[in-house]
Amino acid sequence: MDIVKGYEKEFEQLVEIYEKNTKDNSLRNPAVATIIVSGNKVVGLNSVKGMHITSKERSDGLVMIDVEIEDNTIIPVPVHLCTGFLKKKGEQILRFNYIIGDNVKVKFKSHCILTKVEKLHHYMESDMYIGKNSFVVYEDEHFHDEGGGVFVETITRMKIDENSFFASKFYETKTRVGRINVVMDIELLKNAKANLESKIYGREDDIIDIKEILRLKGENSSGIAKSTVFATDRTKAHVVNEAYGEAAYARGHIECNEIVRGNEVEVSTLPLLKVKHDKAELTHEASVGRIKQDQLETLMAKGLTEDEAAEFIINGLLS
Amino acid sequence: MLKLENIRYSKNSTEIIKGINMEFEKGRVYCIVGNNGVGKSTIGYIIMGLSDYKPQEGKILLDGEDITQLGPTQRAKKGITLLWQEPARFEGITVENYLKLNKNISKDEIEEALKLVNLEPAKYMKRYVDKKLSGGERKKVELASCILLKPDYLIMDEPDSGIDIMSLDMIVNVINYMKERGSAVIVITHRKEIALNCGYSYLICAGKVFLEGKSEKIVEYYEKTCDSCGHINYLEED
Repeated sequence: MDIVKGYEKEFEQLVEIYEKNTKDNSLRNPAVATIIVSGNKVVGLNSVKGMHITSKERSDGLVMIDVEIEDNTIIPVPVHLCTGFLKKKGEQILRFNYIIGDNVKVKFKSHCILTKVEKLHHYMESDMYIGKNSFVVYEDEHFHDEGGGVFVETITRMKIDENSFFASKFYETKTRVGRINVVMDIELLKNAKANLESKIYGREDDIIDIKEILRLKGENSSGIAKSTVFATDRTKAHVVNEAYGEAAYARGHIECNEIVRGNEVEVSTLPLLKVKHDKAELTHEASVGRIKQDQLETLMAKGLTEDEAAEFIINGLLS
Repeated sequence: MLKLENIRYSKNSTEIIKGINMEFEKGRVYCIVGNNGVGKSTIGYIIMGLSDYKPQEGKILLDGEDITQLGPTQRAKKGITLLWQEPARFEGITVENYLKLNKNISKDEIEEALKLVNLEPAKYMKRYVDKKLSGGERKKVELASCILLKPDYLIMDEPDSGIDIMSLDMIVNVINYMKERGSAVIVITHRKEIALNCGYSYLICAGKVFLEGKSEKIVEYYEKTCDSCGHINYLEED
């Protein structure tokens, strides 16, 4: 692990917060590829065979990170991307560019540690190209400050080449959201598959915006985009799922479930399906409303109170 | 003892249950039998205290205590539970966690309950109680849940629905197991094989107890008369 001189303390602080929240000590393991960013500085980098990571910090605060994985590389343990902010206020702007070769197998675990801030704008823009016959998983978990002063924007554009598979999980369920805007725009080529899942738990006056787009451009490409939002208190949530079927036998399914608790929440969902080929098939499923009564009563008939039953159901949905 | 005294229940101005009286003692098996739509399941929901099933008249007494106004949680805490005809699904919750239900139930007990309902623990413990379980599998998981709750009064609403015919013996075994452990089992059914396993039956017609007595007698009457009757408003028309 290359820890940037003078930033050992920040590195230590971030790793400690991560370990406390996840009970995972991978960030100290030299066999694990890691990228650790604190504020506008890359404080730790560790690469593994077949993977090249370069970073650049611009004077205007933008941090640019390029990740390249060579063809035929299998990375046996997850690559960790840890971005944190240890000051009370500020802005963090990150730009990731991933080029993943053919026949690659890799899993990324991204953690956003923003637990010590009062007011922060975290902006992350990513472009990812996945070559042919590859298998890529990207898990993104966020830990925010409970004061609600975090504003996270993540914009991801992807292109998945022939016969490749991509799965993503975006979870912000354990801490306050603050404000979040997630955009994921994916283009799938021939026989490519994608499975997107996002789960967000809104509390107090959190604001949640999710937009997931599947562009099924290749023959026999397929994708699923599923969003689950649990909105409580005065949370505002808006989810847009779009799927475009542009090739023969392309199949897409978009799904949004928004569960509300309380009379001051404001949630909405907007599905859009557009077919440009008569052999493409797109479906959608959406629900907005309270927890189903039959689920609550099933658990209440086993002795749980209504609140306990709701928590049990929500924990399952957001797990 | 659980007693229903002159229970009347209406929904949308239609009287569904028209003054029924029933008694259930622990350690015995009862059957509530009758054609579709006569109000059998409604009686089960009224006993469980579900929110849309509050009787407008009558009392439910548990060992002399009036529990008519109690909700399902309080009734469950007093030892009443319900096996649902079509159990709800729960995304993201494993069979093991569903059966444990935040309670102090050991893994051994869970495995034992799954074996009693013919589900192999190693195969099912980590599966989710969601849409991927078949109707029959889901029903068996619910049955295992009821076993683990060790209720004093177990209402079983159509325990065989959604379950393959080969599993009828398993259901009868579970009913007998619950009886042996001291539960009162109240089985809502129109299946002869299950009804005959019960000691005492109530035949429901048009929201009333039309006949009651030993199960053999009631089932015989039901088969001869009700099966071919074809309408549920017999009493009203009478």
